Amino acid sequence: MELDYTGWKRGVGSGVVAGIIWGWVAMVLNTISGVFPFESSLFHNLISFSVGGAVIGIVVGVFLAITSKWLPFKGFFTKAVFVSTSIWILLSIGGFLLSAMSPWRYNALGVQAFQGLVLALILGCILGTVWKVYQRKGV
Amino acid sequence: MEQILKDEKVLLKTLWPVLLIFGMALATVIIVYGMESIAHGVHDAFHDFRHVIGMPCH
Repeated sequence: MELDYTGWKRGVGSGVVAGIIWGWVAMVLNTISGVFPFESSLFHNLISFSVGGAVIGIVVGVFLAITSKWLPFKGFFTKAVFVSTSIWILLSIGGFLLSAMSPWRYNALGVQAFQGLVLALILGCILGTVWKVYQRKGV
Repeated sequence: MEQILKDEKVLLKTLWPVLLIFGMALATVIIVYGMESIAHGVHDAFHDFRHVIGMPCH
């Protein structure tokens, strides 16, 4: 079985771009909401949010490229939101399990989880938009 | 012979994305859960990021 080469490459490309933008959006949103007071410097966070965002963006983008054929939605925008939210929920379930096993190490907070869910939706929106732009340009 | 070479090309084309997906998924888990035992310093490096995206941390 051969993978759709153009599809996964577009998933990686759009995932990197969307992920970095998402990382910066997350910083801005958290500054506005004040849910978590930043502990590191702005420069440090610019790098860590860009790298973290790009890594998660690639995962979401590639999963979107692979699963898009089977998802019961028409537009890539909806598909991207579905995939990003699903991956965030899976990661959260893992986090809550870790929290249950070692509560002194992993401390789950509801308000941060809610912000994370909103950010997952935003990642899907950004990825869907970037994907559409890439598709239009034939990249 | 040609068929074998063609199959190998297909295999490499498939293997590359699979390795990338696996690597990125592993990196995501390490970053999101701050797994110090696997990557030293990852907890502090992505501490704020983890809190902001709503993942459990201390």
